[in-house]
Amino acid sequence: MLRVRDLTVRFGGIVALDGVSLDLNRGEILGLIGPNGAGKTTLFNCISGVIPPDHGSIYFDNHSLTFAPPHARARLGVARTFQNLQLWGSMTVEENLIVPMDALGRRNTFSDALSLPFSAYAERASQERARAILHVLDLDRYARTPAGDLPAGIQRRVEIARALAMRPGLLLLDEPAAGLDARETAHLAELLHAVRRRFHVSMLLVDHDMSLVMRVCDYVYVLDFGRMLAKGEPAAIRNDPKVVAAYLGEESEQPAGDIGTVVQARKEELPLLEVKRLAAGYGGLEVIRDVNLEVRPGEVVACIGANGAGKTTTLRAISGMIHPRAGRVVFAGRDLTGSAAEHIAKLGLVHIPEGRGLFPTMSVEDTLRLVSNTAGHEVDVSPAFQLFPKLRERRRQLVGTLSGGEQQMVALARAILSRPRLVMIDEMSQGLAPTVVRQLFEIIRVFREQGIAVLLVEQFVESALDVADRAYVFEHGTIGLSGRAVELRGDRKLVAGSYLGTAVDATAIAASGNGHHADPALMELVSVRVPARVKRALELRAETEGRPAGAVVVELLEKVEHE
Amino acid sequence: MTSRLTIRVLGALLAFAVLARIPAGFDVGFKFDAALAVIWAFGLLSLVLLTGYVGQISLCQATFAGVGAYTAGMMVSSFHVDYLVAVAAGVIAAAALGVIVGLPALRLRGITLAIVTLGIALVFDRYVFQDHAFEWFTGGTGGWRVSQATMFGLRMDSSAHLMAAYLVLLGLFCVVAVLLVNLHESGAGRRFRAIRDSELAAATMGVNLTRYKLLAFGMSAAIAGLGGSFYPLVAGSVSPQPFWLFTSLQFAAIAVLMGVRYVPAAALGGAFMAFVPDVLTRYGHGAFLGHAYEISYDWFQIAVGVLLIGQLIALPDGVWGDLRGRVRHAWSAAGSVGGRRVKVA
Repeated sequence: MLRVRDLTVRFGGIVALDGVSLDLNRGEILGLIGPNGAGKTTLFNCISGVIPPDHGSIYFDNHSLTFAPPHARARLGVARTFQNLQLWGSMTVEENLIVPMDALGRRNTFSDALSLPFSAYAERASQERARAILHVLDLDRYARTPAGDLPAGIQRRVEIARALAMRPGLLLLDEPAAGLDARETAHLAELLHAVRRRFHVSMLLVDHDMSLVMRVCDYVYVLDFGRMLAKGEPAAIRNDPKVVAAYLGEESEQPAGDIGTVVQARKEELPLLEVKRLAAGYGGLEVIRDVNLEVRPGEVVACIGANGAGKTTTLRAISGMIHPRAGRVVFAGRDLTGSAAEHIAKLGLVHIPEGRGLFPTMSVEDTLRLVSNTAGHEVDVSPAFQLFPKLRERRRQLVGTLSGGEQQMVALARAILSRPRLVMIDEMSQGLAPTVVRQLFEIIRVFREQGIAVLLVEQFVESALDVADRAYVFEHGTIGLSGRAVELRGDRKLVAGSYLGTAVDATAIAASGNGHHADPALMELVSVRVPARVKRALELRAETEGRPAGAVVVELLEKVEHE
Repeated sequence: MTSRLTIRVLGALLAFAVLARIPAGFDVGFKFDAALAVIWAFGLLSLVLLTGYVGQISLCQATFAGVGAYTAGMMVSSFHVDYLVAVAAGVIAAAALGVIVGLPALRLRGITLAIVTLGIALVFDRYVFQDHAFEWFTGGTGGWRVSQATMFGLRMDSSAHLMAAYLVLLGLFCVVAVLLVNLHESGAGRRFRAIRDSELAAATMGVNLTRYKLLAFGMSAAIAGLGGSFYPLVAGSVSPQPFWLFTSLQFAAIAVLMGVRYVPAAALGGAFMAFVPDVLTRYGHGAFLGHAYEISYDWFQIAVGVLLIGQLIALPDGVWGDLRGRVRHAWSAAGSVGGRRVKVA
């Protein structure tokens, strides 16, 4: 159905794609994986027409797509979603769906302006189809909400809905699981299967989340340095030594024993950072309230929790990027509540925001030397290169042209040069390949050895708990649970029952919310809307009765309805 | 859908009925201002479409209006056609220029597009409207003098028939305003807004960017040109000054000030642009606490600047947009308390 032959794309001197060929049959879900900078997004952009290829051809249903403009491809039935969400934020969800529908229709501007009956009829038809698609994707209740106001997880689903509104034969999904937690990813996998059944579309999927790729895809292609490294069934790919070396990396068993003693030793010390009853938000919305946490010198602390639980907001309130509404932030004995961000940074509290906060048109070396300006004296940048030898090779390169993993290294290097006492890192591993993520977590260990405390916000719960001494679990804008990382890891019930979901296989999901496949809204109710204590009480009851938690909830709800 | 359309049409009729009576008691100067207000309102309306709906920046809307004005002036003075024909010619000429200006917009966006349109405004300002080479178009240094125009076969004389010109302009404005509001809610309007929010997504979702951007520029220029082509009728002559670069900048500033996404804001802005400077020059001098003062036209520019800064801080969606939002908010709050309705789900 889709036939890509010998595709080559060059950006200046860099070869982004080098003779890539690919076949996709009707009804198939094809996975495309590979390290950052391997050319996955470039291939995507070629197929959807955003970038013209230098060489090679693309055929879709026997039409040549090689040089067709994007809107013409859309007419032929090639739809896509975007890694960085590209919804039309000011329009409602329903309108977002109607645009592609009638962009392909035969209506024109003048009949629309006059509201001729013919236009009004087409309008109603489009609205009904939009409603139907939203219903299948369980988005009905957001139909009238402006798309920009929705949380990222819902926006991802709306993007898929919008792509489906084009009646596509082929759906290109660019990192649909980026920024989703394990539970949402499991949802997404189910959703994609349902979409294939209901809408008869083939899909090409790019993602770093191997749990998604393995569960959804029929066939997987692996790209590396613009070349096709391997292709095969997911299971075969997982064990392919070439792929493991280039992309997945070895599974490592983490020794957790020594961390316990470290925690004990540091218990005595005064906390470096102390946050008391912190509350903050944006506009009329209070995102976090009553947050208490502390970080001791040299300690690695992880903040984990579902999307929208308030982790990022907490970091921002600590580093002075937003003003706290209540509570206190004490760092190294000084009250910093409401201080200016640059003042806080000078005291040795460095915040690496989500998206890394780098300057794309500045070279690596200049970025690192910039630290001198804020420090007020010349800073030697060589320790950064010692820590990240790769950056030494690239020191003349512009930061914007580096791969995601290298950019994150620059951000970490910059942080370490300013001699911080505490580094706060937000979503360090977002959008990065597993091997790179593993390297970065190694760096966190180096930080600890050097006595730098780290406060991590992380979506990869298991990796974060591996490296951390302690962890705070955020729920609904406050801290629901905290404790030593080892203990939290061991708490299987918490892991399976709450959003953590380390075991992203279907059985764990089924165990925590049995019977909810039919009703995702209920699942959301159980796993998101309910306070942690109620949830645990529910789970406790479910365990004593030997029934799934979902069944208990359904029973309780029925009781309430009868009364 | 149909009921909403009825409401819009009724709203436009009501607005027409009310606005049509207001200048009746004015002296000639203010009657002229009233007609001019509608002409400027057309210029602002063209920005509502182009910037508010499609998200394209243009700093040459006064040039479009000027092309409309000069074309109409030329048609009436050189070819002695009916004024309606002259207006049609003005609209077509402006739309054609709009499509040409739209061509660079296919590649450019944001600040670069602003600079290109600024350049176009500058070129027309200096080298077309004021250049000897284009005397056939501009009527020479004095511009066209239009004193013997006819419309619908009736004799229109600029000094005696300002009120009639005002009514025709106002009627046309109401019609175009309803069309634009319709367009916003319709399929084409959604495609326009899709381009505004994300061009990349719009293209990959089947919206033909070339077609819709050119369409937007063409329609926007036609609207500005429609207003401009009435200028000779209202003022009795055409000169380069009303359509110079600064008017374009003023359009942009006042459109943002009033709310660039809202059609009624254009009417508000037009009145502001026409009346305030005149009121200032007429009544803006006297003595205060023994000190003689004089508020000239320059003060108007300063006032616009200050108001713009204040608006961007206090009313980020424009005067009309924010006040409308607040009224709606208060209305729905009152409704939910009064009706004791609890929202479920």
